[in-house]
Amino acid sequence: MANIKLELVELRKEFGELIAVDDMSLACEEGETMALLGPSGCGKSTTLNMIVGLEAPTSGDILIDGQSVLQVPPGQRNVGLVFQDYAVFTHMNVRRNLEYGLRVRGMARADIDREVAKVATFLHLEHQLDYKPLELGASELQRVAIGRTLVTNPEILLLDEPLSNLEAEMRNQMRRELRRIQAETGQTIIYVTHDQIEALSLAHRIAVMDFGQLKQYDTAHNVYHYPDNTFVGSFLGNPPMNFVHGQFGHDGNRPVVAQNGSIIPVPAASAGAVSDGADVIVGMRPESMMLAEADDPEAFTASVIAVEPQGPETVLTARIGQSDLKLVVETGTQAHEGAEIAIRPDAELLALFDAASGVRFKA
Amino acid sequence: MVTKTANGGVPVRALQARARLFDPNDKRYIGILFITPVQLLLITMLIFPFGLEFFVALTEWQPTYGTSIWHAVGTVFSGDTELGLNYYYLVTDEPRFLEALGRTLAISVLSLCLEFVIGLGLATIFLKTFWGKRIWFTALLTPMMIMPVVVGYTWFMLFQYSGPVNQVLGWIGGTSAGADLQWLNNGVLAFFAVVITEVWHWTPLFFLILLSGLNAVPENPVRAATVLGASNWRIFWTVIMPNMRGVIIIAFVIRGMEVIKLFDEIYILTRGGPGTATETMSLYLYKLGFQDFRLAYAGSAGFIVLVITVVMINMMLKPIRYELLEKR
Amino acid sequence: MGARKFGPGSAIGLAFGLLFAVFPLFWMVSTSFKPSNEWVTTPPVWVSENGTVTNYLVILWPSVLLEQRGGLGQYTEEGEVTAQRATESDAVSGAVADFLTKSAWQSIRGSIIISVLSTMLSIVVGFMAAIAIARYRFGGNVTPFFILSGRMFPPIAIAIPFVVMFSAPGIEATDSYWGLILAYAAVTVPFSTWMLKSFIDELPQEIEEAAMMDGMSRWEAHIKVTVPLIKGGLIATSLFIFILNWSEFLFALVLTYTNVETIPVKLSKYFSATSGQQYGIQAALACVSIVPLVIVGFFIQRHLVRGLTLGAIKR
Repeated sequence: MANIKLELVELRKEFGELIAVDDMSLACEEGETMALLGPSGCGKSTTLNMIVGLEAPTSGDILIDGQSVLQVPPGQRNVGLVFQDYAVFTHMNVRRNLEYGLRVRGMARADIDREVAKVATFLHLEHQLDYKPLELGASELQRVAIGRTLVTNPEILLLDEPLSNLEAEMRNQMRRELRRIQAETGQTIIYVTHDQIEALSLAHRIAVMDFGQLKQYDTAHNVYHYPDNTFVGSFLGNPPMNFVHGQFGHDGNRPVVAQNGSIIPVPAASAGAVSDGADVIVGMRPESMMLAEADDPEAFTASVIAVEPQGPETVLTARIGQSDLKLVVETGTQAHEGAEIAIRPDAELLALFDAASGVRFKA
Repeated sequence: MVTKTANGGVPVRALQARARLFDPNDKRYIGILFITPVQLLLITMLIFPFGLEFFVALTEWQPTYGTSIWHAVGTVFSGDTELGLNYYYLVTDEPRFLEALGRTLAISVLSLCLEFVIGLGLATIFLKTFWGKRIWFTALLTPMMIMPVVVGYTWFMLFQYSGPVNQVLGWIGGTSAGADLQWLNNGVLAFFAVVITEVWHWTPLFFLILLSGLNAVPENPVRAATVLGASNWRIFWTVIMPNMRGVIIIAFVIRGMEVIKLFDEIYILTRGGPGTATETMSLYLYKLGFQDFRLAYAGSAGFIVLVITVVMINMMLKPIRYELLEKR
Repeated sequence: MGARKFGPGSAIGLAFGLLFAVFPLFWMVSTSFKPSNEWVTTPPVWVSENGTVTNYLVILWPSVLLEQRGGLGQYTEEGEVTAQRATESDAVSGAVADFLTKSAWQSIRGSIIISVLSTMLSIVVGFMAAIAIARYRFGGNVTPFFILSGRMFPPIAIAIPFVVMFSAPGIEATDSYWGLILAYAAVTVPFSTWMLKSFIDELPQEIEEAAMMDGMSRWEAHIKVTVPLIKGGLIATSLFIFILNWSEFLFALVLTYTNVETIPVKLSKYFSATSGQQYGIQAALACVSIVPLVIVGFFIQRHLVRGLTLGAIKR
């Protein structure tokens, strides 16, 4: 592993009865972009606030470069935070905004001017320096907010929902911009979002949170393809992962999951140590299932109840037992409503979860 | 006028003709109808008396002359007397008048600054959470609900030679005997007595306005500055105060408009005395008009004061005109 | 954040602020219960040990005191009054006796009549003007500021023309209720107009327009729709104007003599040439007179700022 830039150790925050962050531990490497992903109210903003020091944790520790920063006041942790509403100083022009952090640090005038010019050029703000924030558009404000932080050369750059206030088109542009900033500065970035697409497209690693708990922390690829639990499976992906409840058992030698007489063959590898008769949930990504020949031993049959073509792909809704599955197939596939089809899930990506806890059985 | 008709068939011209006569539902008539009472009230109770006084003030009429006021107005038009002498005397030969103007300004500026500083200090305390906040808040607001005359009498009692103010000052000075300060009989002290009374009465308003301003300062820029490493002090001056600009101007203008009219409390406390040490514009005008019965002369002085006040207030209002008219 | 902590500095600041704000009030209440020989003493009496309600009886029910002392007759002659003054044990000193002939009820009644009627007038007129300005943009920016100008004039500069006009032969409004009511309405109408305008501005115009679509005339829509919708604001404004009228001193001082009296003027009459200011009696009447103000004030606490800033600040 490369240098660990930020480490959270059993970080906990309680607001009275409410546990906003529940003993969260994770580590983030230098130069990496980490996304904190979760529905609103899951504690990701609280985590962010604790990292920058605006909020004091109830227990646990925060380490930056291996040093605990709990006793360091917010302004001296050398972390930068970009707010969701940008929080630019509206009474100051862009230049004043950009140099604020440097003036606070008492930097010499000439150095300030040089640094500000550098950042302004980097963020294409060099022509807006004398404008007041009220005269700027949302994406420019965003860049001012980022620039105001970048100019202080922070150890970690934290972005709170940076794209949520932008129009769709601006959002794509800004996403590219953020990727460029990350690439050119090598900055460690922590990125809070509730949008899985953003997280998947920008982050190396994703920490998925729900109700204050860290549900999974892994690379974007792993979080998507190998969800640790049903929450992660359902929160990522559109359409989300399909879940079929059933009983684990064996059909002959074949491990299967049965529901109301329908059976889904599961790969032996995924079954691991699951005992027969256990209540399980089978998780299958819509795009990791394909149509198969009726006699395919790894396939199961389901009846098509809806066909929704979406350009090059078509979303099929199929019913097995009492569960509906969505699968994404190529448009043009011969499937019509009412037809019986054979579906073969990708053996590698099929997941078995414990029905009670929602946790994935580890092979 | 009425062109948009969806009445099916009725000639537009006929409708227009009727509308031109009188349509009680027409926007303009309603507007005029609703504005008329206030205009009537202001015309009878402001324009008319001021108009009357304008003519009287050109003469040197006094009620003690025994002539009727209408006669005095008559002389303006008959050309029997020289007109406008009052103004000439006031500006060239009446140091007391100009002193009163200056004193009013001094009391106003000093009081407002003290009110601002104390009010701001208290308002910043009330941003925090502490026990009994609601009760203390209400208690702090009480002075501004008390009527000026009562404020005057209360402080008149407090400032007596053997009163509690001297007693407390004595204790602070380490003696059990009260301090030897003739608050209301010494010119300099009386000036400060007036200022203290005014500050007591109206600091709550500054406090209230500034607190509502502080609460309206957006939180995130403050947090952003904190994360950028700025000290609380620096944040206060570079982020919070600039955001309060409008509110502060409003507070000063609103209080400024009132404090330059200050009369009741001074009338009770000192009657402008000792000598003329606390004689403000209002007190001076009162003495001219109601002690010396020189109503015409007082009227002239009143017009000068009026022009000064209106000009000053309009200057002060300029920056907040927008806030006052803006729909929010 | 550090700034959010309520430290010792804050506690001291708050304590001083509270002491400064509350002490004068305490002193007034305390004085109102002091017998006359404790009004002015060295050192001052903080809380009387001989607390008495005599001061309140003087202003409200002097007949009780008169009966106690066997009628007014024995005090009408100078000699007897002086003799009485020497008797400090008496609950009512000689100085107080001067004020037993007339209770404060006339002034209380006068204050109520004048404040209530002028408030009603000011609100009706102000509401109509506020509608004209807020809904019809009547007079653009000029009319609102013309109305406001009434508030800019120092009252004394208005009082002089008032006295001249009121005493002019053919008008003769001095010492009359209606004269004072009109005068009060004229100087409070800027407040009622501006304050009500700020409430009306907060109300979407579409509501009235919808009522007009349903066949109401504009006039009806404003009375039947707007008024109920800004009821809270209307009440707050009325109470606010009431406070202004109730507190007014200067006009009452120069425009009334004996027929009409208000509390602030009555307060200044508790003064005798022989024994000066009657602190206890003044304090008692002051306490009585600020009760409605404090009650009303707390009731509309939320709206006070809006009123005092002419609607510029809403909370």
